[in-house]
Amino acid sequence: MNFTYKLLYRIYRVFSWARYWVGRRFTRAGLVVLGSVFVAAVLGLDPENSVGYQGFTLLIGLLLVAVLFGFRFKAAFAAERLLPRFGTVGQPFTYRVAVRNLTGEHQDGLALLENLKDIRPTFAQWKALQLDDQKHVRPFRVGQRRRQNPFRLANLKEAAVPPLPPKQSGEVRVELTLLRRGVVHLDGVTLARPDPLGLFRALQKVALPQSVLILPKRYFLPPIALPGMMKYQQGGVALASNVGQSDEFVALREYRRGDPMKHIHWRSWAKTGKPIVKEFEDEFFVRHALVLDTFTDRPQTDEFEEAVSVAASFACTVLTQESLLDLLFVGTQAYCFTVGRGLAHADQMLEILASVQPCGAQPFTLLDDLVVNHASTVSGCICVLLSWDNARQRLVEKLKALRLPVLVLVIRPAGKTEPLEPGPMRDAPERLVALEVGKIEQQLARLK
Amino acid sequence: MKPPPFLLGTALAFWGWQSDFLIPGVMMGLIVESARLVQARWEFSDEDFSRVWTFCSLLFLAAGVFAFTNNNGPESFGNWFQNPGFRTQGGAGLSAARTGAAIFRWLPMIFFPFLAAQLFSVREIIPLSTISLLVRRRQRREKKAGRPVPPSRNVNIAWPYFVGTVLAASVHRSDDASFFWGLAVLLAWALWTQRSGRFALVIWFATLAVAVALGFTGQRGYGYLQRYLEGMGADWLSRLMRRNVDSSQTRTALGQIGDIKTSGRIVIRLEPKKGSPVPTYLREASYRFYKAPAWSAGSSRDDFQGVPEEAPVNSGNWTVLKENTNTHGVNIACYLEGVKHGSSAGLLPLPAGVGRFEKLPAYVLSRNSAGAVLAEGPGLLIFDAFYNPGATLDSRPGTGSTNQNRQPPAGPVPVGSEMLDSFRTLTNLTPRKAEHTNEDLRVPEREEPALEQVITELQLRGLAREKVLQKVRGFFADKFTYRTWQPPGKLGTNETALSRFLLKTHAGHCEYFATASTLLLRRLDIPTRYAVGYAVHETSGSGYVVRLRDAHAWCLVWNEDKKIWDDFDTTPASWVEEEGKHASAFQWLQDAWTRLGFEFAKLRWGQSNLRLYLLIAIVPGLAVLFYQIVFRRGRRRKKAAGLSGAEIFNWPGLDSEFYQLETKLAERGVARGTSEPLNEWLTRVATTPGLTELCAPLQEILRLHYRYRFDPLGLSEVDRDVLRREVKACSESLKRVEAFTSAREGERQ
Repeated sequence: MNFTYKLLYRIYRVFSWARYWVGRRFTRAGLVVLGSVFVAAVLGLDPENSVGYQGFTLLIGLLLVAVLFGFRFKAAFAAERLLPRFGTVGQPFTYRVAVRNLTGEHQDGLALLENLKDIRPTFAQWKALQLDDQKHVRPFRVGQRRRQNPFRLANLKEAAVPPLPPKQSGEVRVELTLLRRGVVHLDGVTLARPDPLGLFRALQKVALPQSVLILPKRYFLPPIALPGMMKYQQGGVALASNVGQSDEFVALREYRRGDPMKHIHWRSWAKTGKPIVKEFEDEFFVRHALVLDTFTDRPQTDEFEEAVSVAASFACTVLTQESLLDLLFVGTQAYCFTVGRGLAHADQMLEILASVQPCGAQPFTLLDDLVVNHASTVSGCICVLLSWDNARQRLVEKLKALRLPVLVLVIRPAGKTEPLEPGPMRDAPERLVALEVGKIEQQLARLK
Repeated sequence: MKPPPFLLGTALAFWGWQSDFLIPGVMMGLIVESARLVQARWEFSDEDFSRVWTFCSLLFLAAGVFAFTNNNGPESFGNWFQNPGFRTQGGAGLSAARTGAAIFRWLPMIFFPFLAAQLFSVREIIPLSTISLLVRRRQRREKKAGRPVPPSRNVNIAWPYFVGTVLAASVHRSDDASFFWGLAVLLAWALWTQRSGRFALVIWFATLAVAVALGFTGQRGYGYLQRYLEGMGADWLSRLMRRNVDSSQTRTALGQIGDIKTSGRIVIRLEPKKGSPVPTYLREASYRFYKAPAWSAGSSRDDFQGVPEEAPVNSGNWTVLKENTNTHGVNIACYLEGVKHGSSAGLLPLPAGVGRFEKLPAYVLSRNSAGAVLAEGPGLLIFDAFYNPGATLDSRPGTGSTNQNRQPPAGPVPVGSEMLDSFRTLTNLTPRKAEHTNEDLRVPEREEPALEQVITELQLRGLAREKVLQKVRGFFADKFTYRTWQPPGKLGTNETALSRFLLKTHAGHCEYFATASTLLLRRLDIPTRYAVGYAVHETSGSGYVVRLRDAHAWCLVWNEDKKIWDDFDTTPASWVEEEGKHASAFQWLQDAWTRLGFEFAKLRWGQSNLRLYLLIAIVPGLAVLFYQIVFRRGRRRKKAAGLSGAEIFNWPGLDSEFYQLETKLAERGVARGTSEPLNEWLTRVATTPGLTELCAPLQEILRLHYRYRFDPLGLSEVDRDVLRREVKACSESLKRVEAFTSAREGERQ
């Protein structure tokens, strides 16, 4: 069986290489001609009933001449990439590349292609993915198959290079479509010159290794009253800029259940006819735990990616408030990263989240221990979970037993809509939120 | 990116020219190019495009089914499933290949409505979701789940259509290079728009010229390769050929080992005229010279003479034998499956003694001295043939020039002739020396010993002609059986297939019987010819049908007393039954589709009123489709008007009281302009004398209205009440202002 997988992997590598090569070497018109060659070849098999062979030989002639031009492109270029440090999944990512013509000839009609580092998975990664597909995707269900290569982080778009006079530079605007979080390694750029017929391209590579970090997708979160309370923090005075509450309120808002009576703004109530409360600038020294569940036996799932995105959304939103945030998750080991109040910036947490990977091999108790050990220092806990099974319910139960306010967000596959059994959250079912893949933005918008 | 002007139109005309659909091709080309002149555009929705695509897909499916059945698909696949083997597999493969080729050829016509929809739509592009089932399914799933539907990519199908059209133009037979040069021009035209500005025009032209020269050399080389392969295996290639009778010669299956497979496809339909008997045989040609395994026409090969059509032109009346009384008549429908002078051509299957044709829509008609009538015309001929027993078209025995050192006729020859010429060269069929001056008495030397043995055994020498015929008939009837299967002969012997048949196996198919009878009688100095055609025996409704497996060979014997050629068939009568055993279990299906194919061919070749009927049948469908596409929106409006008020307000916020206020303000003379944003309109309202005090409330009402309409969370009950109250207050203010204004006016008056 392993031999079969190895053979299939070899075939996959060869085909993916051929696809990559054809995609870079042929122009769009060239691809059409190439496809037509195959059709004409089939038609030409029956010369008694078709003159397809005439088309076949003509198209082959065109391609042959075009390919001959592709072997000779003696030009030298230098390039410099002005690359941002970060990009975000789903956001437009553009940057500039300055290209310098080092030859004494005018260079016109060129295209610039980015060279990504080989994104093809190793045999182990590829096999794990195939086995996972076999396990979770029903046979013959084309619609359920993966739509994209899970190892491809970005799609490249070729860019036209402006005419370059001898020894002069020009600037090219390059656009990448970012598909997944992670690090995109760029090996260099390639200058492509089409043949006179515009079918085949000669390539000239310029080494320019750089990388860019793609941050996870983030969702808009409404102002959320996070679970929590002021709590004594060891070293808190040093970290806190203020203690207690300011007497100045920053805004008025509608009354929510649980708001203290003393915050009611009576005049506004009288004016509007409904209870309005004063909103004060939070100056609590609040510390939240953001627990990210990474325990899934599947190598690549939408649920896991969405969980990371939800965690990133909270990280960005919560850190705009005066608080600390501990990101707790298990990778190759148990990790706890604390950011906020001068310790670290949100960007750093996003960088960490950009690189989080599922840990199928570790036991869930690792996360259990990590969270419970931190429970004494945090004011509240936001758990982003991948399922709502017994192990996860036990973890929440322990946190509740420690009298810690908990907000539980469970990411579920698309189409799974049946309500969750509250379990340990039965006393506050509104704090147990099921988020369905594909509808997460809407469902997060309803959070209060 | 759009194709350059006139490229698509020219490509369609080129396709029409190459595929014998010149008029449809030119028409489609004109329609396509008229999109540049006609300013009118239709506002097709995605749903409309889907509908047109479905229509094209159904056409494609129907064309596929038709092409499959028309190319013997059900039977050949049925045979393959029943008797898997190399031969049946080859037959199935051939059917599939022909089906594919036919569909490919029709592609431009099938998908033309879709292209036209794109060209005449406002968008001039097509959403990918209309073509891709997967994208559509994904969108449906997202919609069903209540998630936002991802936008579909738009595609321009003009370029793919262009590529499909020029490739479809290649699906036809041709010996010239017109397709090559046409394609070269079209490709150069298309590539002109793609050329890189980096290179000078001279380089572009030079590169293109080199590429075309390479292609041309390549296609010549391909031709040589093809001929070489043909030379390597003429026998193999001849098996791939369809049955298409050549007047110059016919290749028999004498000596062929194994089972002979024939098709059940209906090739001829005939209906005797009232009071006329049905002809037993329909002869296509007769042959005079035999060299195993082929019969050739000998001196009759090149003596085709044109038959003039009776006045007026296009009357369809032709007289081929003036002295005939033509007492009997039969209506015959047959296909012309060859090509000559660019049009369909073939030998007509005719009853013996035929003298006149009526309603025969042939372009050219010619006949030779061996009784063959060659017609050039539409692919399907339906005509009345009048005949009477007696004189035939055949020349008297021994007449015609000798066939020594005969050169092939100039000009195009019927299909298959070229291939058979190469075959003839390979097998050296043409006799170097005529042993007998009378071609109708010539017997190959190799066959003489076996024939002599039979003659001696039957003591035929010295008997009268009638007696000889009787004894020969009896000999074959008593001692021989009909069998399509032949065992292999002994290797290393001089034994011919015919002598093995006569002396050992005593079993064979009609070609054995006909050849043996012909040569046996010739040995007895009775002039004979070898005839091929069909036997008519199967009734169908009021007429008869003739299948490919009814193809038959028999002998023509000269009757010196009456000076006519008599049919002399020694094949046991059981041959019809034997051949019938080869019928497929799917014969009924094949017949049904053949009938459909026949009706289509009648339509295509203008032999029936079906074209009119089909047009009438299609019109309602097209009308419904047209109505769906053009007037759909109107229908929706009508539907909406008939609904109750509660049903209309499906969209959130459509019941907003703001609209009442808008109406009232419009009544007051400050109507909102078309496409005027609400905010700007309300600012304008606030500047109207008397309404300035409404500025602030109107802004608040607008804010709440917008929230009610577009905020996903909607308005809370409290805010909803506020909106109602504010609108009510505003309306009352408006009333007050109106009352005040009318009072002022009253005072002035």
